Amino acid sequence: MVMRLLVAALALSVAHPAQAAAADYPKPLPEEPVPATALLPAVYPESWILVHDLHFGSILDGRVDVVDTASTAQPLKGIVRAAQFASHLYSRDKHEIYTAETFYSRLTRGERTDAITIWDTATLQPKGEIVLPGGKRYQAVTYSGTFQFTNGERWALVSNFTPAQSVTVVDLDGRKVLNEIDLPGCTFIYPTGTRGFTTFCADGSMTSLVLDAEGKVASSKTVDGVQDIDKQPMFAMPAMVGKTAWFVTYYGQIHGFDLSGDTAKALPNVASVGTAEGGDPEWRPGGWQVIASDPSGRLYVLMSPHGREGSHKDGGSEVWVIDPVKNVRVMRIPLHGTGFSIAVTREAAPHLIVARPDGVIDVYDAATGAFVHSLGASVAVSPVTFTVVP
Amino acid sequence: MAGFDKITEKLSRSVARGTSRRSTLAWLGAAITGAAAFPVLPVARAANPHGGGDSGRVPVTSGLEQDPGDRTSCDYWRYCAIDGYLCTCCGGSVSTCPPGTEMSPITWIGTCTNPADNRAYIISYNDCCGTSDCGQCLCNRNENDRPPVRPQSNNDTNWCLGTQSNVYNCSTAVIVGVALEK
Repeated sequence: MVMRLLVAALALSVAHPAQAAAADYPKPLPEEPVPATALLPAVYPESWILVHDLHFGSILDGRVDVVDTASTAQPLKGIVRAAQFASHLYSRDKHEIYTAETFYSRLTRGERTDAITIWDTATLQPKGEIVLPGGKRYQAVTYSGTFQFTNGERWALVSNFTPAQSVTVVDLDGRKVLNEIDLPGCTFIYPTGTRGFTTFCADGSMTSLVLDAEGKVASSKTVDGVQDIDKQPMFAMPAMVGKTAWFVTYYGQIHGFDLSGDTAKALPNVASVGTAEGGDPEWRPGGWQVIASDPSGRLYVLMSPHGREGSHKDGGSEVWVIDPVKNVRVMRIPLHGTGFSIAVTREAAPHLIVARPDGVIDVYDAATGAFVHSLGASVAVSPVTFTVVP
Repeated sequence: MAGFDKITEKLSRSVARGTSRRSTLAWLGAAITGAAAFPVLPVARAANPHGGGDSGRVPVTSGLEQDPGDRTSCDYWRYCAIDGYLCTCCGGSVSTCPPGTEMSPITWIGTCTNPADNRAYIISYNDCCGTSDCGQCLCNRNENDRPPVRPQSNNDTNWCLGTQSNVYNCSTAVIVGVALEK
């Protein structure tokens, strides 16, 4: 009886408004198949970008967001898990995203497992995983240097920190761990040559290592005095122009390192972001991912007018565009609000992408600096780094 | 700060010369005395320049003239290089972890000047670990913070190390000594 009343009520509620409209629409809307899940293109368009969401409110539930910066209506295309201070990589050629993550068997407690998860770029489903031994993966606010490709993207390198420091060499294609290299006093990975990497060390030196076919160290070379960590520390994430890594310092110097050969070479000439009026007390780089490059080799540096000791993560109100080879500043781009991290797409007409501390992502024309549109705070809670689609 | 930096620089150099980093860093951890430090959330201060104090919270103070300030506010003097959620807002205090968490035995340190006695204190930012992020009173200040190339001076690193779980909950700001004269 109750059911009969319910059905009658439902019929009334549905039929009544339909009676008025049905004459206007002779055909009903078609039925829609379920279940249904969207797919992405295996190779992402160049307007797309990967946004690392550290997810500050629950870091163990971090994410990588696949985002179309050209779409204001639906910029968020999909999400890949990136748990507990994870890092990620994107391979255009292999149609894969990789996340280096950490898990506990009881979410916050229990047995620890570190692993690389391999995700299909079209389905965003996991294709496999490689467990990393020792529970030692370097966990930090997202830095690109904790997880990098080498050997033509067939291998990956993972930074470890317990706080003893080492690097794990992983064969992605073979789904196995090859080796662990102790690197006392040295932090992060900058791919160098065809099969090797460079790392920077706490005494201001850098060491380049060449790996053999088994992932063992074939040779290494250390160069002293490439960085004054007290007086001129380099932000740890460089902008890449080909095989040249450009680093900006806390005070606005720009140092280039040629990573094309087996041994990293510091370029002889140091460039500068330049100076400007209006500083309080002075302009300095500030934010998280503070430097980016465009396809022509120009550099973009996020700048704060409130530069002082300790301001280096406060974000910036302008982006300064530098030609590091000619050592000239070619443009200043005022931002809508404070920027925290920046990137430049590899589109034919590149765009400057700016993440703000409130999660808003804005898009500018990289050639002119003109504001194009905002994606709003619509793709990530805590966007910290970008990976551009090559 | 200068004094401690010299210690850590010397340490780094000795490490880089090939001594056992593990044993050396173990020594550092012991020397810092329970310092455990922690990292996280860049930009918190830019987004919310005054930290917890602006959230309508009732101020929490020490009651001592010599240790002035609101411990729920990012402006409190000990937080000059902190990065994370303030344990005072999370069930703990400026020097104790909330129930259910474990204090990390190793950490990174900063040096902050107490405005009341004008002394420079070595502050250990021990993280509290094993429960997911507290989510209250986010605060990030970076005086004398350096990139991870010098980890012991870096607050971006998850210093929930040496604990049963390295899931981060909140950060303390413990006085572990007075800095040497500059």
